[in-house]
Amino acid sequence: MQDVFIYDTVRTPRGKGKRTGSLYERRPIDLLSTMLDAIKKRNELNTAEVDDVIIGCVTPIDDQGYNIAKAGVMHAGWDDSVPGIQINRYCASGLEAVNMGAAKIMAGMADLIVAGGVESMSRVPMGTDGGALLHDPELINNNNYVQQGVSADLIATLEGFTREQLDEFALSSHKKAAFAAEQEYFSKSMIPVVDCNGLTILGKDEAVRPNTSKEALSRLDASFEQLGEAGFATMAMLKYPLAEYLDYVHTAGNSSGIVDGASLALIGSAAIGEKMGLKKRAKLVASALVSTEPTIMLTGIVPAVQKALSKAGLTVDDIDLWEINEAFASVVLKAVGDLGVDLDKVNVNGGAIAMGHPLGATGTILLGTLLDELERRNLKYGCVTLCAGAGIGTAAIIERL
Amino acid sequence: MIRYLKDKDGIVVLTLDMEGRQHNVLNHKIIEAFVPVMEQLKLDAAKGLLKGVIVTSAKRTFLNGGDLDYLYEAVDPEEIFVFTEKVKKLLRDMERPGLPVVSAMNGSTLGLGFEFALATHYRLTVDNAEIKMGLPQTRLGLIPGNGGMIRLMWTLGIEKAFKVAEEAKYYNVHEAKKVGIVDKILDSEAEMMEYAKKWILENPKGIQSWDKPGGKIPGGSTHEPGMAQKVSLLAAQVAKKYKQKYPAIQVLLNVLSEGSKVDFDTASKIETRYFTELLVSKTCKNMMKTLWFDAHEIFGGCNRPQGFSKFRPRRVGIIGAGVMGTAIAVECLINGMEVVLKDVSSLIAERGVDLVKERLLEMEAEGLITKSFRVDLEQGVIATEDSKAFRKCDIVIEAVFENQHLKSQVVQEAAQELDDYAVMASNTISIPITKLGQSIEMPDRFVGLHFFAPVDRTEMVEIVKGKHTSEETVAKAFDFVKAIKKYPIIVKDGWGFYVSRVRNTYLLEGVSLLMEGCPASMIENVAKGTGMPSGPLALADKLSLELVLKYEKQAAELYGPKYIQHPAVNVIEQMLEMDRKGGKEYDGFYSMHSNNQKRLWEGLQDHFAPDLAFDPIDIEERLLIAQVIEVLWCLQEKVISSVEEANLGSIYGWGFPASKGGAVQFINDYGKEDFVDRCKELEEKYGPRFSIPSILFKLQLEKAEKVD
Repeated sequence: MQDVFIYDTVRTPRGKGKRTGSLYERRPIDLLSTMLDAIKKRNELNTAEVDDVIIGCVTPIDDQGYNIAKAGVMHAGWDDSVPGIQINRYCASGLEAVNMGAAKIMAGMADLIVAGGVESMSRVPMGTDGGALLHDPELINNNNYVQQGVSADLIATLEGFTREQLDEFALSSHKKAAFAAEQEYFSKSMIPVVDCNGLTILGKDEAVRPNTSKEALSRLDASFEQLGEAGFATMAMLKYPLAEYLDYVHTAGNSSGIVDGASLALIGSAAIGEKMGLKKRAKLVASALVSTEPTIMLTGIVPAVQKALSKAGLTVDDIDLWEINEAFASVVLKAVGDLGVDLDKVNVNGGAIAMGHPLGATGTILLGTLLDELERRNLKYGCVTLCAGAGIGTAAIIERL
Repeated sequence: MIRYLKDKDGIVVLTLDMEGRQHNVLNHKIIEAFVPVMEQLKLDAAKGLLKGVIVTSAKRTFLNGGDLDYLYEAVDPEEIFVFTEKVKKLLRDMERPGLPVVSAMNGSTLGLGFEFALATHYRLTVDNAEIKMGLPQTRLGLIPGNGGMIRLMWTLGIEKAFKVAEEAKYYNVHEAKKVGIVDKILDSEAEMMEYAKKWILENPKGIQSWDKPGGKIPGGSTHEPGMAQKVSLLAAQVAKKYKQKYPAIQVLLNVLSEGSKVDFDTASKIETRYFTELLVSKTCKNMMKTLWFDAHEIFGGCNRPQGFSKFRPRRVGIIGAGVMGTAIAVECLINGMEVVLKDVSSLIAERGVDLVKERLLEMEAEGLITKSFRVDLEQGVIATEDSKAFRKCDIVIEAVFENQHLKSQVVQEAAQELDDYAVMASNTISIPITKLGQSIEMPDRFVGLHFFAPVDRTEMVEIVKGKHTSEETVAKAFDFVKAIKKYPIIVKDGWGFYVSRVRNTYLLEGVSLLMEGCPASMIENVAKGTGMPSGPLALADKLSLELVLKYEKQAAELYGPKYIQHPAVNVIEQMLEMDRKGGKEYDGFYSMHSNNQKRLWEGLQDHFAPDLAFDPIDIEERLLIAQVIEVLWCLQEKVISSVEEANLGSIYGWGFPASKGGAVQFINDYGKEDFVDRCKELEEKYGPRFSIPSILFKLQLEKAEKVD
């Protein structure tokens, strides 16, 4: 089995995922090709050497439909020999793309893979692709399949997390993100999105609120109460009878933001790196994929991390830095508690609550952020993990070189 | 500059009246002038004093477009972007005062001027044949980029909006109404103002469809699969028609496709970005230079012989009532002249007059002329078999069969009837004017007028100056060509004059590629891919190989011992020996296939063994550079006297790609040094026909290096 190395990562700044967001005017293929172009130029890539481009995208219709990976590859003018595939593992898609690519390299089927994700949530809103899990009444009731936010509130209810605890975590996400941006910690991987004339459209993450406060956060309305009261809360309690009622503690302020963005990682074998003169930045030590009970949905992180650690022969204490996707504040707090992780090592430069969660792209964004920070702090092991729809969880462990 | 007049009903009339200019244009100055006007409007509107706004003009034109001097010089994308967004802000303010705004277009409204009109809620005009309207930006390699494409899309739907901007027509008011860009035509300015006020009082809201909640683009956006599919078909049609050589047309479609998916303001920003990209491009600067600035200079008479008073042709004699003669007759008639059409018998001449009338009827059906105008025009043409009918003509043009003896005879006959003021002209494609002029008594008043088919769709006429043609006659011929609204390009007598001569080198280069083994289909396709209207082999067939050879023989005669025979001449001779002469009656490089389709002759493969090693880029460059070099020779030999005429003549004369700005501008576009190096390579490989005439090193070339 071949070892897999990370040679580079890039990402766009994240734009607010609505009409007034800066990236709304750019097509998803533009976001993706901006990344492809950057990773090609930074590494002086002969794109004919790339075996595949694997792109996570969660709402793959309209501008993102008909295999956006191949469309992006063509839009960026890459070699005809590069195929391209779009995948959907919900919120875990970006990291899943890396893991799938890694598996191919390990098996010797491929040598060099570009993996990443793209999501223009302003243009192709979440859920607009339909689907049985979202809309089929039989499937929904047979499985007590609730809306994600209701699951997040269920976690908070069962764990006893208060609104204050969640808001406090959200506040720290904004503060850390604002500080990191100010210190230019993101500049290593972040590529501005420009127009056809080279004029900058967006150069930094747009959703961060450096001046937000506990008070401001506390004034926000609960986001999922209406859905819960419509019946989803009852479904959650049918499945989890220990919950007497559902505590609606998640708001727009302590949930991940809806944003647009794209990201890529360049991964490959040692041999191809040498051949192409690429610098090994990290080794992909282990990765894992699990699925858990779908009603509570967002609890895949802990088993995924445990599985990855066991494959790597490492323990929680060996991990120097963590990137745990901030889908909802309760998700991170539960994972940190269950795993026994020191919160100071988690999401040290903020997360999706502050900067947003462009569904298909987030996994690779987190991977890049983690690697950049391991390098900046001169640390060794990092773990990136995300929960995803219907109980899925994924994780990867990297070793900085 | 902008007069602000409020009436008792609370309706403000804004009258555009730019100082020191014949026309109103949307330049930096007027945009500044609008700032206080908009402030005043806001103020009055806030006080609840206003019912609506009418915009009109104190000039003969309403708003004649943008500031082309500025656009031509603009090279900094950021500055262009900022300025364009500023203009857009004004237009956006204009359509959102919460009041109805009406354009009362009392004169021509073109380009950016029409984009302004689109930003008002209702468009009125008056029934006046002189008023022209439309969005001709793509003619200069641009798009309506000041919100015009987006507003047009919201007004007409994606497909119609594309068609209007792609066609880039100057519509008369009736066509504009039919297309849907004008709402109502009134009989007089007074009625128009009256109606504008009435409309304002009946429509107090003043909100554009794109600002209404839930507003929909007519026919839908590309979010909808049906429309998305239509747009992909349009993309294929653009490829077919423009061979992907005209970025502006592609951008039109991009803007519509992308713009239809997003809200108005985002769409408008997307439009600005594409507009900026086009404006700084070489293609746009090339097209602006040649098709706007140089064309205006030429049309304005920069090359007309000086010191002769303006010639005003009223009555035109035409000899030969065939396709060419009748087409020239139509051009003269619609531009206000009378026509005497002569042929060998009254019967044939009458038949010619019928053809003219048929064409006029067609024009009426196309909405180009009104019925009453058509009826008037029909009175202006008479048929004759007698040269005496030419006695009161100011100019007589022969357009008979291309035969020196015949032409000499008819010219001689007609010339006897003319007074001292009149001009005798010949429409010949290959017989030197000096030779034809020998047969008449006043060769100084004899000139060549080389029309190109189809006459109604060709923008230029070659004026051929014979050895004895006087400067005054050239000036008169110039004024005549101008009077029929074509570009007059003055050329020296000689083999093929200017257009046919250079065109011949193009097709000979294609034939030499064939000789070297380049597959014929590749030659033809690559040639068309450069933007040339026809492949060289198809063109040779169309002209007839005998004519192609005739030009070469004339060249051989002219240059004597200095003549170097083009390698392709052997192939032409070989084809003629095989009786594959081309022309109307014979097969040539092509054969008539079933269903009246022409296909490349299968026998070509036997005679010229195909070799697949040819590089398309090489083929493209040879085909274009061969023409460029011949144009330089024409300048050196003074066949044509200016770079401007050489450029414009190459585009309008034989269809040299307009995106390059013409055959001399091509050198700029390519880069002069690179061009010289490339020619040296070609000369080494293919022979002296690629050696560069020394005049290149004396020419002052401008633009194109300035950008990217």
